[in-house]
Amino acid sequence: MTFTSTSVLLLAGFLPCCAFGQLPDGPNRETVQRICSACHPAQIVLGRGMTREQWGAIVSNMISRGAKGSDEEFAEVVDYLTKNLPPAKKDAGTPTAQTKAIRPRNLIDQAGADDKQVVDEDAAARGKTVYIAQCITCHGTKARGGERGADLVRSLVVLHDRYGSTIGPYLAKGHPEGKSLALTQDQIVDLSHFLHQQVGDTLRTGPFNSVLNVLVGDPKEGKAFFNGPGKCSQCHSTTGDLAHIASKYDPPVLQLKVVFPQTAAFGRRAATNSRKPVTVTVTSPSGESVTGVLDEIDDFSVSLHDDAGHYRSFQRGPGVKVEKHDPYAGHVALLDEYTDKDIHDVVAYLETFK
Amino acid sequence: MLATSLGASLFAQLLDPAALTLFNQPAGIWPTYNGDYSGRRFSNLTEINQSNVSLLKIEWAYRISGIGPQRGVGVPTIKSTPLMVNGILYFTIPDHVFAVNALTGALLWQFDFEDHGGHLIGQRGVGMYGNWLYFLTPDGWFISLNAKDGKERWRHKVADEKLQYFTTMSTMIVKNHVLVGVGGDAMDVRGYLEAHDPETGALQWRWWSEPQKKGDPGSETWPNQAAMDHGGGMTWLPGTYDPDLNLLYWGTGNANPVFAGQGRQGANLYTASIVALNADTGKLVWWFQASPHDTHDWDNVETPVLFDAIIDGKPRKLLAQGARCGWFFVLDRTNGHNLVSRPFTGTGNWAKGVDSKGQPIPDPSKEPQIDGSMIDMPAMGATNWPPPSYDPQTELFYLNGIEGYGVAYLYDTSPDPAGYGGGGGGNFDTRSSLFAIDIRDGKIKWKHSHESGTARNDAGMSGGILTTAGHLLFTGDSGQLVAFDPANGNILWHQRLTAAVSNGPSTYMLGGKQYIIAGAGDTLYALTLAGK
Repeated sequence: MTFTSTSVLLLAGFLPCCAFGQLPDGPNRETVQRICSACHPAQIVLGRGMTREQWGAIVSNMISRGAKGSDEEFAEVVDYLTKNLPPAKKDAGTPTAQTKAIRPRNLIDQAGADDKQVVDEDAAARGKTVYIAQCITCHGTKARGGERGADLVRSLVVLHDRYGSTIGPYLAKGHPEGKSLALTQDQIVDLSHFLHQQVGDTLRTGPFNSVLNVLVGDPKEGKAFFNGPGKCSQCHSTTGDLAHIASKYDPPVLQLKVVFPQTAAFGRRAATNSRKPVTVTVTSPSGESVTGVLDEIDDFSVSLHDDAGHYRSFQRGPGVKVEKHDPYAGHVALLDEYTDKDIHDVVAYLETFK
Repeated sequence: MLATSLGASLFAQLLDPAALTLFNQPAGIWPTYNGDYSGRRFSNLTEINQSNVSLLKIEWAYRISGIGPQRGVGVPTIKSTPLMVNGILYFTIPDHVFAVNALTGALLWQFDFEDHGGHLIGQRGVGMYGNWLYFLTPDGWFISLNAKDGKERWRHKVADEKLQYFTTMSTMIVKNHVLVGVGGDAMDVRGYLEAHDPETGALQWRWWSEPQKKGDPGSETWPNQAAMDHGGGMTWLPGTYDPDLNLLYWGTGNANPVFAGQGRQGANLYTASIVALNADTGKLVWWFQASPHDTHDWDNVETPVLFDAIIDGKPRKLLAQGARCGWFFVLDRTNGHNLVSRPFTGTGNWAKGVDSKGQPIPDPSKEPQIDGSMIDMPAMGATNWPPPSYDPQTELFYLNGIEGYGVAYLYDTSPDPAGYGGGGGGNFDTRSSLFAIDIRDGKIKWKHSHESGTARNDAGMSGGILTTAGHLLFTGDSGQLVAFDPANGNILWHQRLTAAVSNGPSTYMLGGKQYIIAGAGDTLYALTLAGK
C-alpha cells in the first residue's frame, strides 16, 4: 500500500521556497539554482542587491564553506547575481533607500519554521525607533539583553512571534512589570519586524557573518618571509604575476589565495579567478606514456585531456604508473611550515601591491 | 507476491526483544541503526568472504521516485541504515519512510509527511519495538507507525522548529524506552535526550546537555546561567548501550555560540562529550569531554563504539570513539577512565596536550581569531556522522576521516555573541582517508588516502563502514562500493554505483543468502554472490 500523492509531494518539496519568490529569469539561472540549492534555498539571495565584487566575495565565502562546482560554474553564478541582483539605485527623495540597498533582508536560513516572518525593512526601521524609545535601556543595543533585561534575540516570545502575534499580547499583559507600554498595533508590528531583523542578523546567513580584518601583519616581515623561508619568490614576482595583486582581491580573499591557492575565489575585478591546472603523466605497462591536464583521478581510473585536446581515460592497476604534477605543491608544503603570523605578514606585504 | 513468498506468518511476527543484543545480533536480522547495541557494525556472517567476494553482484536496486528535490538539499539522499526484520527493510529520507521487500526490492508501503520547517539535512532511520516503528520528522514530530502498513498510530512534538531545533536521528529502543535526540545549533538552544514510552509516546525522562542551574555539578564550567541556557550540545546521532551495565553511551554536539566562545569561558560541560547515562532514569553516571570549550563546530556525536578486549592480560569492557575534533579515544566503559588519547589526523595542534582525564587541552591561540587561525586539520572537523566499525578479528577501529588544514575566523567580537559568531574559512586542501586505528595505542595501523585537489566531487571515501567475519571491510570510495582487506587496506573488490555510498552498509542472511545493503544517493542496493 502506497500513500504517495504526487500533488502533496510536490507541495512538500517546493512550497517553502515559494515563500521567497522565484529567481529572475536570465542566463545561468539554472546554474545558480543547482549550485546554491545544494546547501540552502537559492532564493535566499532575493532581496539583496550588490556589486560584482560584493557578490564575488559572497561566492568566495560560500566556496570556502564547501559549495561544489567548477570554476566556470562559479563564474556563471557571479555573473548571474551581478546582472540580476545589482545594488538598488540610490533615490535622494527616499531616506530609507540607501539603507535598503546596503542592508540585506531577513535571511533566516534554511532551518526553522516554514512560516518565518518576512521582515519589512521599512517597518523594521520604524520599529527600531520604538525599540530605542521603549526597550533599549534594559534589552541593549542589539536586543541581546543584559543585567536588566532578557535576551530578546533568543526569547521564546520573540521566536514564536509572527507580526506581533505573541509580542502584542505579552506587552498587553503589562511589561515591564507595573508599567504598561502604550503601543499602537502598528507600533507592535513594527517592533516585531525590528526584533526579527535582529534575530536574522545573528544567524549564519546574517549580513554580519563575514571576516572582519586580516590586515594585522607586518609588511616588512612579510617581505622577508616572501623572499626567504617562504620561498615564494622562487615562483612568484611582485612585479610580474603578483603585480597589482591587492587590487584584484579583497584582503580576506587574498589570504585565502595565499593559503589555499587552488581554491576558486573571486576578487575586486570581475571574475579574476584563475586556477592552474594539475597535470598528470600516465604510463601503461607497455611503456606508452601520456601527459595532459587532469580531469579525474580516483583509486580505480584516471582521465586527462592531452596536448591535442583529446580525452583519455585509463584504468588504474598493477603496472600503470600515474605521476601527478601539482603546480601548488610549494603552497601545500608550506601548510606544515608557516605560522599564523607568517600568513598575516605575507598578506600585509602583498596588500601593498595595489 | 510478497504475501505468498514470505508467508502468512510474516506480519504476525513481531521484533523479538531477544534480537536486541550487545554484540552479534541474529543472522537473519538487522534490528537497529547499528545492527546491535555495541555500534561495532561487525557481522559474524561469513558466506561472503575473501575467497569469493569477487563474485559479489547487484541483486536488486530500489530507487526512490516521485519525490523530487528536497528543500535545501536537492536530490533525496539515503543516510539511514535500513532495519531488516522479518524479510522487510525499513529505511528513510527526510519526511519519508519506505518498507521494501528485502528479497526483491519491491516497495510494500511508503509513509509521506509534510513538514512545516526544520532542516532536511538528513534522516538516519527508524527504530522498531514489537510491530511499531518510530520516526522523527525535520520539524520535531515523533511519530509511531504500524510496521505492517505504515499507518500512523500517534504523534508527539519533541522539538520546536521555531527555535531552530530539527530532528534527524534514528530512534533507538532500549527495554521499554524509545530514545529521541535533537539537532540544531543556529539559535543557541540547549541539547537534550529524551526517553518515551513505546506504547503511548509519553515522556519518561529528559537529560539536558547542560547543568540545570548554577551550583549543579558541571555548572562551574560556565560563567553564568544564561550561557548554560543557550549552551548547545545536540544529541543527534543514536548512541550505544550496554545491557549488563544498563548504561547508555551518547555523544553530544558542539557548544553554542558555535565559533565565538568569549561569552562562555570554561569547559562548557557536557557539550562535545561522551556521556554515560542510566537507561531507566537518564541520570548522568560519567562523562568524558573530547573538545573542551569547543569553538570549532566539532560535534562529538560520532558513535561511541563498545567492545571487549584483553589489555595487559586483563579482560576489559571498553568504548572507543573517533571524534570530529580529530582525536581517537579509548575509555573503560564502566567508569569513563581513559586508556588512549591520540590525534588521528594532523598533529592535533589545536590542543596543548591532554589533562589528567586524558581530555585534550584547547590552545586559546588556536581558537577562531579575527584575522584567522590555522589548524592542521580541516576546519569542519576530521570525521562526522558516517558510522565507524570495530573488527574484533583485527582489533582495529575503522573510520572514514578527512585530513587537511583549516582557518577559523571570529566574526562576532562582542562580549555577548550569539549564533555562529564565526566560521571555518576553509575545508580545503583536504584529502579523505580510511583509517585503521590500533585500539591499544591509537596509532594508525594502515590508511587508505586520497590525494587532495582533484576535480571530481565524489573522489574520496564516503559513507560508513561494515566489517564482517569473512575478513571484509565494506565502505564507499569514489562512487564505488568497495571491499577492503581489514588487515592491510588492500582493495579486494569494487562495484560502481549511481552515486557515492551515502549511508552505513549493513548485512544479513535471508533465504539462505548473505546480503550486503548500501545506500547511494536516492538508490538502495542489495548485493549477493553470483550463482547463489
